[in-house]
Amino acid sequence: MKKIIALVLALVMVFALCACGGSSAKSGKVLNIYAWNEEFKGFFEKYYKVPDGVTVNWVITPSDNGAYQQKLDEALMNQSKAKADEKVDMFLAEADYILKYVNSDATQDITKIGVTDFSNTYAYTVQAASDPNGVVKGVSFQCCPSALIYRRSIAQDVLGVSEPDEVQAKLDSWDKFEAVAADAKAKGYYMTASFAETFRVFSNNCSSPWVDSGNNLQFDPQINAWIEQTDKFISNGYTLTAGIWDQEKNDQMFKSGKTMCFFGPAWYFNFCMGNAQDPDNGCSGDWAICEGPAAHFWGGTWLLAPTGTDNAELVADIMNTFINNEEVCTALVANEAQFSNNQAVNAKFASDPNYGSAFLGGQNDVAVFSEMTDNIVWKNHTIYDQLLNEGLQNALQDYFKGNVDKEKALQNFYNYVNETYPTIVIP
Amino acid sequence: MKRKKLKESGVSYAKWGYIFILPFFIAYTLFTLIPQLMTLYNSFFENYRDGLMQIGPNFVGLKNFVTLFSPDNTGSIGMLKYMGNTIILWVLGAVPQVLVALLLAVLFTSYRLRLKAQPFFKTVIYMPNLIMASAFSMLFFTLFSPVGPVNQVLVSSGIAEKTIDFLSIKVSVRALIALMNFLMWFGNTTILLMAGIQGIDQCLFEAAEIDGANSLQVFFRVTLPLLAPILVYTVITAMIGGLQMFDVPQVLTNAKGTPDRTSMTMVMYLNNYLQTSKNYGMAGAVSVVLFIVSAGLSLFVYNTLSKPYKEETKKRNRI
Amino acid sequence: MKNRENTKGRVTLIISRTLAYAFLIIISFMCLFSFYMLIINATRSNAQLQAGFTLLPKDNFFKNLRNAWTDSSINIPRGMLNSFFIAICSAVLTTYFSALTAYGIHVYRFRLRRFAFYFIMAVMMIPPQVSAVGFIQIMYKLNLTNNYLPLILPSIAAPVVFFYMKQYLESVLPMDIVEAARVDGSSEFATFNKIVLPIMKPAIAVQMIFSFVSSWNNYFIPALLLDKAEMKTVPIMIAQLRSADYSKFDMGKVYMFILLAILPVLIVYIILSKAIIRGVTAGSVKG
Repeated sequence: MKKIIALVLALVMVFALCACGGSSAKSGKVLNIYAWNEEFKGFFEKYYKVPDGVTVNWVITPSDNGAYQQKLDEALMNQSKAKADEKVDMFLAEADYILKYVNSDATQDITKIGVTDFSNTYAYTVQAASDPNGVVKGVSFQCCPSALIYRRSIAQDVLGVSEPDEVQAKLDSWDKFEAVAADAKAKGYYMTASFAETFRVFSNNCSSPWVDSGNNLQFDPQINAWIEQTDKFISNGYTLTAGIWDQEKNDQMFKSGKTMCFFGPAWYFNFCMGNAQDPDNGCSGDWAICEGPAAHFWGGTWLLAPTGTDNAELVADIMNTFINNEEVCTALVANEAQFSNNQAVNAKFASDPNYGSAFLGGQNDVAVFSEMTDNIVWKNHTIYDQLLNEGLQNALQDYFKGNVDKEKALQNFYNYVNETYPTIVIP
Repeated sequence: MKRKKLKESGVSYAKWGYIFILPFFIAYTLFTLIPQLMTLYNSFFENYRDGLMQIGPNFVGLKNFVTLFSPDNTGSIGMLKYMGNTIILWVLGAVPQVLVALLLAVLFTSYRLRLKAQPFFKTVIYMPNLIMASAFSMLFFTLFSPVGPVNQVLVSSGIAEKTIDFLSIKVSVRALIALMNFLMWFGNTTILLMAGIQGIDQCLFEAAEIDGANSLQVFFRVTLPLLAPILVYTVITAMIGGLQMFDVPQVLTNAKGTPDRTSMTMVMYLNNYLQTSKNYGMAGAVSVVLFIVSAGLSLFVYNTLSKPYKEETKKRNRI
Repeated sequence: MKNRENTKGRVTLIISRTLAYAFLIIISFMCLFSFYMLIINATRSNAQLQAGFTLLPKDNFFKNLRNAWTDSSINIPRGMLNSFFIAICSAVLTTYFSALTAYGIHVYRFRLRRFAFYFIMAVMMIPPQVSAVGFIQIMYKLNLTNNYLPLILPSIAAPVVFFYMKQYLESVLPMDIVEAARVDGSSEFATFNKIVLPIMKPAIAVQMIFSFVSSWNNYFIPALLLDKAEMKTVPIMIAQLRSADYSKFDMGKVYMFILLAILPVLIVYIILSKAIIRGVTAGSVKG
């Protein structure tokens, strides 16, 4: 037993030494990029040429259990003390929590390091990366306008039309949407498959933020409208009570599904509607997209520049490449099924008569998205949005499923807010 | 008389006691005690993050504890509710866990039964513990989802009229959590008890056999009393593990404790405070309460269960 | 008369055996079902998994295996090696030092003995979540990230394992053996290593399995301390596959990796469980 222990301790030493030796043997600049998955890393390695003498060090922490943000926060808070080669040089953030970083001193003004040309990017992607004083802290390499994705055959049955323009005309306001839901129900269909399907469409268009200047929690009329609508949809049987990612909803994407509308951006129908694309049970080609009752977006990844990076020039060059380099942006659309954050490039695809998506029956999705993006606004967001939206949906699902009354569901939401954000004042 | 004897046999060796326990205490202090003390200290402070901004630490006395036990607008006190949930979930899972494990351990070690294929069974019962709790919960989630195989069977066989949303019904969520905890841990407990039984001198069983004792008598007169220390261990650790229940309900209910937070445990509640706001103040207060509850229960169990065998050990250890 | 009793005994034996087997089979079925699901899921592609669970396997087993094995973001053999190294070190340290501590408290009479025992018992009640965040912060301050030491050394102090060892000693170790060794001139360390440890073999094997498994499956702390690709452990890699972006997201691969990750622990378990049974012979040395 003693020998085993000695061996183990020796091994531990060797490993520890290896670990130390590895990190000190670097030459030239080290570019540390923090991310939670390999999506951007893939694009970066394909489309960005790193200057000689620079090593890119990807610090990838999965987002499970909040590990990514925890890791990133720890690193950003130690940024000033870290050695040059260990500082965070660039990091990725999603729309849902971007403001947490944008509104803090941990990120810096990118116009000062050389990213100044936003003429081709979509306005909302710049607004999202701007702090309350309008200082821009980052850029998005993709744009994620989200559309109403509908089944052509069901639209034909319910509305008598199936072409995107005609369908849009019948679904361009919430009143019309609800009226059509009743018709769909009468014909044996569901309008949507998840209780939270329309949440983003409402919440992206709020006229007030989640908290007021005194940090009091407030419900925007749009949020209340969503609650009211969902309540009505569920009690009338217009929608299923499943969550957005639930199997129950996914099953509705099969050919045998009875649901007419889904909401989502390009990445959603390209990568998350596997059941609809299934060669045997799916219904590829029976789908189309239109703007729906209100413009909105879903997702997107921003590149942010932390304060204290020792590679500011390089970071600026990367940012410029992914928003302004025509070749790279074209490749993102053509090869990666992305909707790029470059209006000129997207316009080329939008006007190309040969460009179209087989899944959408040949429809040119870039054209639809290009038109929609102008209507998307980024305003009234707070650093708390991600978890308040999630928490509200989770708490209300209990109510929508009939487990608790509304008062109790809201109380559960308030308790959740208390635990998550102590500074927010609960009514 | 007794004390003198102890002194005589122990005095020259006392320093060895310190030497033997030293590594444990050094490692514990460095890696666990200091962070724990930080937490305890923090429970008297306002100390959290708002986004990337650190608030506090500001001394607030017992305010965090007062907040913890203040009723919300609907009059319910979160801490007590989650304590109740935790105890219910634990009892539902741990009682069958210990009983089944005891039965299995006796079956496997039985001198009379001499069961075949033991290595197979012993391996199989421990296997659920090898899967990560998150993966295990994922499987149960798909199994019992509204469109999962269980519902398919229930509906197609006519047992249920329409699909049952197992994951939004209080009783079924709790039952599932208990079942999963049971499956994950009964093998573990069986192995512990088996090792305990195998530590018992085989001569005692043989002697009992010769004296004509039947299986039940052997179990209650020989196995159980001699297994007592290990059994106490099992009950106490099962209890502590139960009070600290976290991963299974966390993953199964996606951290929500659905429905209506009736499957939210105390540690899930604690985790809510730590997850986003790094609220060391409130999290510290929750853990202090959790500590007091578990220490109280464990002390009670330890004292009641160990009394009978303590006398016996003392007799044996007196030299 | 004697004969009749024998027949009766045999009948009871057959009945109890049958009942025992029936019970074992039911329990085994429950345990194996989740593995069956895991294996079935590992044979299905992401699209097939999205379509819901089926009881019959599909034909994507080798495709998933290839995809998982060749995924550029993770290196499965390396991850397993890393996890194995950490888990083995933790298991050895935790069992040896817990046994040592338990022996120290069980055998020697010193002033702080009761205090030490109750202290360890008390700290056992504190949930690990309480110290996790502080632990991470200290490790950051000490610059011990991307280092295996903070994942291995804390296992020296495992209150739960200590408690088990203590209880086990209480039930198997008579003081006469220790006294006898002393009379023979054995040093205290030698007595522990050469006489007491062999007696504790079953207990050590049991706790080795448990700590190996819990270290192998540990995710949260390693995820925050390790970020170098070549140092990552299996659970981090699984989480990485699960938070892969939508275009690469493949649950088939995830299930395959979960399945692969179980094999090494299963092997360790089977090897060590033999030691538990062998331990019986060693345990009966005592008089």
